Amino acid sequence: MIVPFSHVLFLALVLFLLGAVCAVARRNLVMILIGVEIMLNAAGLVFVGASLHWEHLEGQAFVIFILTLAAAEVAVGLALIISSHRRTGSVNADRYNLLKG
Amino acid sequence: MKAYLLFTLVLPFLGSLTLALAGRHLPRRGVEVLACSTILLSCLAALLALISAGPNPQTVILLPWISTEGFSAPMSVLYDPLAGIMALMVTFVSALIHLYSVSFMRDDDGYVRYFCYLNLFVFSMLVVTLADNLLFLYLGWEGVGFCSYALIGFWYSDEVRAAAGRKAFILTRIGDVAFGIAIALFFALYRDLSLAVLNQKAPGLDPSLATALGLLLLWAAVGKSAQLPLAVWLPDAMAGPTPVSALIHAATMVTAGVYLLMRFFPVISLSPAALSAVAVVGAVSSLFAACAALAQRDIKRVLAYSTISQVSYMFMGVGAGDVGGSMFHLLSHAFFKALLFLAAGCIIQSLHEEHDIFRMGGLRRSLPGVFLLFLAGALSLAAIPPFGGFFSKDRILLAVFNQAGGGYQLLGVLGEVTAFLTALYTFRVFFLVFGDRPASGTVGSSALPEAGLRPLPKFMVGILWPLAFLSLAAGALNLPGLFSGGEWLDRALAGMPGGAPPSNSSPGVEATVMAVSGFLSVAGAVWAYFLYRRRPLPEAVTPLRQRMKDLLSSAFYLDQGYQKAIVTPYRAVSRFLWLKVDEGAVDTGIDRAGKWFPFVSLGLQQWATGRLSTYLKMVFLGFTALLGAIVLGWHPW
Repeated sequence: MIVPFSHVLFLALVLFLLGAVCAVARRNLVMILIGVEIMLNAAGLVFVGASLHWEHLEGQAFVIFILTLAAAEVAVGLALIISSHRRTGSVNADRYNLLKG
Repeated sequence: MKAYLLFTLVLPFLGSLTLALAGRHLPRRGVEVLACSTILLSCLAALLALISAGPNPQTVILLPWISTEGFSAPMSVLYDPLAGIMALMVTFVSALIHLYSVSFMRDDDGYVRYFCYLNLFVFSMLVVTLADNLLFLYLGWEGVGFCSYALIGFWYSDEVRAAAGRKAFILTRIGDVAFGIAIALFFALYRDLSLAVLNQKAPGLDPSLATALGLLLLWAAVGKSAQLPLAVWLPDAMAGPTPVSALIHAATMVTAGVYLLMRFFPVISLSPAALSAVAVVGAVSSLFAACAALAQRDIKRVLAYSTISQVSYMFMGVGAGDVGGSMFHLLSHAFFKALLFLAAGCIIQSLHEEHDIFRMGGLRRSLPGVFLLFLAGALSLAAIPPFGGFFSKDRILLAVFNQAGGGYQLLGVLGEVTAFLTALYTFRVFFLVFGDRPASGTVGSSALPEAGLRPLPKFMVGILWPLAFLSLAAGALNLPGLFSGGEWLDRALAGMPGGAPPSNSSPGVEATVMAVSGFLSVAGAVWAYFLYRRRPLPEAVTPLRQRMKDLLSSAFYLDQGYQKAIVTPYRAVSRFLWLKVDEGAVDTGIDRAGKWFPFVSLGLQQWATGRLSTYLKMVFLGFTALLGAIVLGWHPW
């Protein structure tokens, strides 16, 4: 492998933090969903890197699962967002506080 | 044979089950016919079983019940002449009581419940009578206890009556514990619970173990048979309907204890200590109860104490090794006690629920039929020769006198004294209730209620005549050889252990004992005549007499003693646990702890902003903290 494993890990860490900040700091539901996607892909990147580093194929197989999971999640998540936008006319996460005690 | 036994047992149970499930939808007449016919048919089956069975004991398995590797407890019957005669007596007397109840309960709305329990009572007693497997026997034993509770407290809306039912249940339960321990001990010893097997293997028993088992069984019998020191429940049990009292006293409950001792006689007879304990309990209880009966005012309580006293004679018989004599007295007692109670029920009902014998009088003329019936029962109970009770009581006393050792002679003398007292209290009731007395200022003598006597159904009185005949003629069951009698019962029980012990007394001794006890009984009756027939009741009583009266009428303060020694401390401890420990410590502690929760939750409330981003932030922070801790070497598992 040309790229050192530590570089891969570093890139994944940066990506993960970006995703986390995006998910936490943004108020827009779509942006939160994108943040989650980025975090998932960061995790996938670590899997691929680790799989190459230790020469085990299971890591790559896992990435396939994560991709599928991400696709399903986005499909359901976007559908939910559209549905709630139709109901309330807003995609602001802070407005969804009906369950607050 | 199996079919007869199955019918004997199952019919009362089916009757009770039907009444419990569908009794409310049946017409009243249907309920009565169902309840009576099951017992009558059961009696018929018991009779056929007795006729068709040989003299040898046989074990019949009716139904498989509990069965596992190496242990099985089937519903099995040990049928021997003792069980056969007992079953016939139980069903016969119960059948008459059922018929009588139809009249007695004619105005009561709880007849379905009443007959349901009555049938169940007979079933339970039949299980006790016939069962071979001890678990099955115990089922019946507890069933008897439960039914007595339910029937004594039958009029449960009255607090006193309900309490009497509870008292009966709790006190007999104290005895049941010993029976449970005895069963466990038997199982530990032999890995088998069949009565036949146990009695067969018993002779190899260690003497100390035999004594322990004998005493445990005695304690169990003491509870059920209301002997000292557990005698206090029986007088209170008079709170139930009168036919129930008759059933409890004559056929089903009280005799179960002494019958248990007869069934286990091969075990008990191994230990002379246990045997003499049985005899001592019997002699002391019989004197105690006879004294207490002397001063009772309630007609039913007199009869209750007389039952304790008479059952004590049966204990003495078993203690003297004479199961046959004990059984003889059990049979004659069943007849005359059922008769006396049912006649008392007639009196009480016709006098509008009057129980006090000092407020009765002169009933000879107004209730001539009941007068004759009660007289028959009284003659037999007082053991006036030549009526039923005389021969059976005499047989027991003779067996006691025949035992070697001065102790038994002393017990025999106690028995003779009791025989005298028995005649005295029996005829005290008889003359007070039926005799005319000169008017006296204090108590309204010969005072019939203003409303006049309540008419009784003819059937209610008529059904008692068979009992009267049997109680007068019960002696013929086992007329001693001295009178060239047939000794039918002795021959029937000849194969049983202790059934007919060899009589080693000379005819001279036999005649002496008979003459003495006969004379004492007649003397008691005559004395009662002079005390209560002619004289008006004394108006003023001296303090000493009053103290004596209080002592006797409260049965030597036994009940009050238990109240002081057990019930009051128990209540005090319960009260302490309730007010101080439960409410004081536990509840207050929890309340105080609860007060902190609002403060804590108010602090936490600020974190619940309702904003998704805050929550996500928390999730991330929490995860980071957790991962950080793990990285730093924290091992939660």
